[in-house]
Amino acid sequence: MTALRVAGLAAICLAATPAFALEQGEHRFNGFGTVGVTHLGGEDDGRSYGINGQTNDSWRGDQLSKFGAQLSYGLTDSVGVTVQATAKAQQDEWKANLEWAYLSWQTTDQLMLRAGRLRSPVYMYSESLDVGYSYPWLRLPDEVYSQVQVTNYEGLDAVYTVPLSYGSVTFQLAGGQAKNRDYYAYDDQFDIDYDKLFGASVSLATNQFGTLRIGYVEADITTDINGTVNNYLTGNPNDNLSLLVLDKEKGKFTSIGYQYDNGTWVSNNEWTSRMIENDGLEAIDSFYLMGGRRFGDFLPHVTYARLDDNGGRQSSWTLGLNYQAAPTVVIKGEYKRVDTQNGYDGVFTRNAQEVFDNEVHSRFGGALGGAPARNYDGDIVSVGVDFVF
Amino acid sequence: MKAFLRILTAAALLGAASLAQAEVAVIVNSAAAKTPSQSDVANIFLGKDKSMKGVDQAGWNPVKEAFYAAVTSKNESQLKSYWSGLIFTGKGQPLSSVADDAAVVAKVGAEADAIGYVDSAAVNGSVKVLFTLP
Repeated sequence: MTALRVAGLAAICLAATPAFALEQGEHRFNGFGTVGVTHLGGEDDGRSYGINGQTNDSWRGDQLSKFGAQLSYGLTDSVGVTVQATAKAQQDEWKANLEWAYLSWQTTDQLMLRAGRLRSPVYMYSESLDVGYSYPWLRLPDEVYSQVQVTNYEGLDAVYTVPLSYGSVTFQLAGGQAKNRDYYAYDDQFDIDYDKLFGASVSLATNQFGTLRIGYVEADITTDINGTVNNYLTGNPNDNLSLLVLDKEKGKFTSIGYQYDNGTWVSNNEWTSRMIENDGLEAIDSFYLMGGRRFGDFLPHVTYARLDDNGGRQSSWTLGLNYQAAPTVVIKGEYKRVDTQNGYDGVFTRNAQEVFDNEVHSRFGGALGGAPARNYDGDIVSVGVDFVF
Repeated sequence: MKAFLRILTAAALLGAASLAQAEVAVIVNSAAAKTPSQSDVANIFLGKDKSMKGVDQAGWNPVKEAFYAAVTSKNESQLKSYWSGLIFTGKGQPLSSVADDAAVVAKVGAEADAIGYVDSAAVNGSVKVLFTLP
């Protein structure tokens, strides 16, 4: 009898639950894409630049262009499945990636649990990293967005949203792992594992005063970054040098972001700090500050970005002009001037041989050859279009 | 001076008439228990408050434009941009939508937890008006 009453109560609860996710059998198909070209000019013609080193002195479409499609399907009124696939170029090769593949369960009006392959909630724009339409630039500020390269993980997360009279606040907790991911460094690709990945973020969205997000992610990182160089100190022309070995070292990443858009004035800002235990380095800090103003369908904007890495510094100014061609189509143009200081490569690519040459020169004061570390600069022009459907 | 005043009055009347024409009513079921405030309505239609079921209008029309501008301070492209941010981060799906004012009234009139917005001329006895927007 009691069991019956409990069952009855449960049925009433279920019946009273309003529909908040997709209804059973309902599906949504959405897509996004960017078609753009980018070019690095200035003093360092020929050198590569960028998070994946794909920007250089030829007009290339593969650094910026990408396409994605997402399908969501309601298995029941509160349980759904979402899959997102993207196509983008990685190291001169177009690759298809399964970025999202998860089951979601809207347990209450406010709490959603997800399991599967999820986007790692590292930066303010992490979860829409490939959706150029969701941010004002063609190139996300490389100074910040080169810090952590892993874009997804396998695990669980919980997203808890509380509506407030002046907006809403969202808490997110994430846990899982990301094995056998690619890490781009020194003009090469390496395997990297992230174990015990844990992330937490809180995001306060207000109707009048913008959105503030604070996020923290940590993981145990394992990787072996090495390179083959002509070692003239030992006379070995094919010496395999270890550049960085991490064996389950804890990496910690903090991001504080703030977005504002009142329809006329737009501002996007983020500060990040990255720390890896026992990598022999201090924390790497970076930030960008962006402001723009809409004039009808046009949005001119300016961004200052900086990366401080153990005495080396990269800084850049970006001027951009966006044109809202249709409600779901934005045409963007951008000019970015980048400089580095104190013999720092920043987001410019040095290969293993150059790293070796710089190291030999600095250790022996040039007595045994090598080449002094130097500064880099460049003018990056990008033009493209972002769309969603 | 008189002519000028008359022109002013005529303009004011015209303005009032056009405002009255474009008046948007936010409606709930006549048996609805809750009376959400304007900021609650904003949260419901931005997918942040799921305690009520927002019924959207499918196409972009003057009623929709006036509603979103007044309640959420967003125009069409800002609204699309907002939803693409939620869709592609897996944090939300746009509300289900119906064709026009009559369909919104029919749906809100039939479901106790539904809420919608229509041209105030479309309101009938099956729904009650929470508030109107000029």
